[in-house]
Amino acid sequence: MLKKLLVGLTLAASAAGFSLAAHAAYPERSIQAVIPWGAGGATDNVMRSLTPYVEKELGGKVILNNRPGGTAVIGTSYVLGQQPNGYTLLLGAENPQLYPVLGLAKFDYSALYPINLIGQNVAVIAVHADSPWNSMADLMAAAKANPGSLRMGGAGAGALPSTVHAMISAVDQLDVREVTFGGDGPGITALMGQHIDFMPLSLAAAKELIRTGKLKALAVVSTEEIPELPGVEPISKTLPAIADYLPWGPFWGVWVHKDTPDDVKQKLTAAYAKAVATPEFQAFLKNYGAKSLNLSGDEASQFLNRWQSVTTWSMYKAKAIDIAPDSVGIAKP
Amino acid sequence: MSETISYLLMAWSDPNLLLLTALGTFAGIYIGAIPGLSVTMAVSILVSFTFSWEVNSALALIVGIYIGGVYGGSRSAILLNIPGAPSSVATAFDGYPLAKLGEAGRAIGLSTVMSVIGGLAGTLVLASAAPVIGDMALKFAPRDYFLIAALGLLLVGSLAEGSLAKGVFAAALGTVIGLVGMDPVTAQGRFTLGQVELMGGIHYVVVMIGLFGVAEAFYQLHSLDVPAVRQQVTKIIPSVAMVLKFLPLSLRTAVIGVLVGALPGVGGDIAALMAYDHAKRTVKKPSRPFGQGAYEGLVAPETANSAAVGGAYVPMLTLGIPGDAVTAVIIGALVIHGLNPGPMLMVESPHIFWFTVGNLALANIFLLVFGLMGIKLFAKLVELPKAMLIPLILVLCVVGTYSINSSMTEVYWMLGFGLFGYFLKVFGFQMGPVILGVILGPMMDNSWRQAMASVGDNPVELLGELLSNPVSLILTVGITLILLGKTPVSGWLKKKCKCTPVTH
Repeated sequence: MLKKLLVGLTLAASAAGFSLAAHAAYPERSIQAVIPWGAGGATDNVMRSLTPYVEKELGGKVILNNRPGGTAVIGTSYVLGQQPNGYTLLLGAENPQLYPVLGLAKFDYSALYPINLIGQNVAVIAVHADSPWNSMADLMAAAKANPGSLRMGGAGAGALPSTVHAMISAVDQLDVREVTFGGDGPGITALMGQHIDFMPLSLAAAKELIRTGKLKALAVVSTEEIPELPGVEPISKTLPAIADYLPWGPFWGVWVHKDTPDDVKQKLTAAYAKAVATPEFQAFLKNYGAKSLNLSGDEASQFLNRWQSVTTWSMYKAKAIDIAPDSVGIAKP
Repeated sequence: MSETISYLLMAWSDPNLLLLTALGTFAGIYIGAIPGLSVTMAVSILVSFTFSWEVNSALALIVGIYIGGVYGGSRSAILLNIPGAPSSVATAFDGYPLAKLGEAGRAIGLSTVMSVIGGLAGTLVLASAAPVIGDMALKFAPRDYFLIAALGLLLVGSLAEGSLAKGVFAAALGTVIGLVGMDPVTAQGRFTLGQVELMGGIHYVVVMIGLFGVAEAFYQLHSLDVPAVRQQVTKIIPSVAMVLKFLPLSLRTAVIGVLVGALPGVGGDIAALMAYDHAKRTVKKPSRPFGQGAYEGLVAPETANSAAVGGAYVPMLTLGIPGDAVTAVIIGALVIHGLNPGPMLMVESPHIFWFTVGNLALANIFLLVFGLMGIKLFAKLVELPKAMLIPLILVLCVVGTYSINSSMTEVYWMLGFGLFGYFLKVFGFQMGPVILGVILGPMMDNSWRQAMASVGDNPVELLGELLSNPVSLILTVGITLILLGKTPVSGWLKKKCKCTPVTH
């Protein structure tokens, strides 16, 4: 009995010593990084491009693991349920910030610690090449002339198109039929085939098609023209009141469990900050039509709070959601 | 022109690329043969793995894996009645009965040759008509996808052996399983019982592995004392006469494969099922009755699913839109390598297009070589004692399921479906219709709601579109004829047609 106890104690002590040593040498084994979206999607592409540079900075392997499903609820809750030791990362996008108001889950990103907010995308209002409209004002006029008959491509509750639609509806009237697709790709296909009339899209998804004239951009969802789309008017030209909600765009970032030891958090933060700043990755982001953010710590938290507040309140104002943001603790912008 | 040819032959002349394509094809066959290990997964791992490589090398390896993997699924379908991938479900219908007759070797040989023919036909279409087919694929509206899914569900009529009622029940059950998870429009849970794990739905490969793999393993417990069929391993390579005999069917189903494969969001699985159905409808005198080891039932799906690969590349290379899950990952790979997949890809980086065409052809040649190698050894797998075979199947099923999303929950679901599938089998239900429902149910759900939303929930407007749009009209008429063909109306019509001349 005594012997057993002794053996147990020794084992426990050595385990404790081992784990202390492990902290000092983080990462001492490969890190699992969960991508809560499918292979080949925007989040997946960004993370697969960034990870090699992170591995160089950390001096360890980062194993990417796609756990898609349920608007990223599944992958995100998986990371929340893992040991807070810094060996499970979440490489995600903006969606969890909307879970409380959509009733998808009880948590949002405040349940995790932001290591880095990598970059942000901008949204554009796109129509097919043969569309009679050439500006946002044309689209708004057409929608008002025939309320409820234009077909807008969507990607489900909480996705980019419905959020942009909510922002427009919050400041003006845009009564349309929302046709829901499984994502940007199928939506763009339907838009090119003229089965829908317009669709708010991320610049990353639409850039090549706009450049080649297969799609036409009516407006950029921002307050000023952007260098990637010269000559395309900012949406605030037609809808000045929307400026309150801008800048807005989907974003990508890296999170760990909140209770992860501070030294691990610091090490990861430093590694990701350097990796995002590498000229190669910056070039990738630019080519992808995204803006670099490279935010961490308090700056990242502020960004997340503002994004959540702006998005949810505009959705609530446009009656796109039933749950009041302040009832789940989201302050007004 | 000379540039085009040099791009085309790039993979053939560079020893490095040649080796990578061969390696990819070889690995692909075995990845494809293990249920659960999918081409999509292998390719997405490769994207990270080949990050620092030259883009051509990465693409060569990926093309090899893709071609090998789509073919590899037929191996386990024929030998064990477990499709290695959803695109091989239809292969099992006649492939496994062939193995039971002792013709596993010949079945693999025939499926290899037909896959290569399908693959080459798909590549040829890609090379010669990609822009035309790409534009054609865009013409399909949500309502047309709904009609295609409906047409697919009508296959229940061909798949349900014995009782149509049981087939319809099985397909309905599959459809309900396919609907589990978040509603695509409102993001509310459906049939999730409040479980987070079910929010993403039940992966159809999980259902497939359970129903085919585990259920088959349990079912074999009934015949423990029956000695395994001796496999004939001579004459495994089909004769020229045999290939020529099936060539017309093969070419017809290759066309089905390319066209269905080129539609974004519809892939080899549906193409193969439609091809099987086509064979069953058009071949009047099959070598054996369908479902009991007809060679035609093997030729059709194997040609179609390989031809669908060429089809899937069409929208990807001409428009930057993925034709299926694998090409979606390849688009990601191109983006990561700094290219801009889109309509300008063929103009700005023409080498990618012709290199892919040349590489697909090359991978198909390697497939012919590797596919026909080692068949004797594989055929012997069926002769393994049950005490070894059954545990082997179960281990493969568990490993394969876990590897899809690294989820133990899915392993439990898979085992649950296995047990359930066993009872379905015992009571004479077919597995094919269930899988059909799981694959097509969500597609019907989505496209129906898209079609209805497009017309502002006005069924009259939808009906008008069905009759006025050429694509929709063809599909509508096709469905109506198939439906009427199975009712007394058709007999009555035929009689009337025959009688009319007499009365005059």
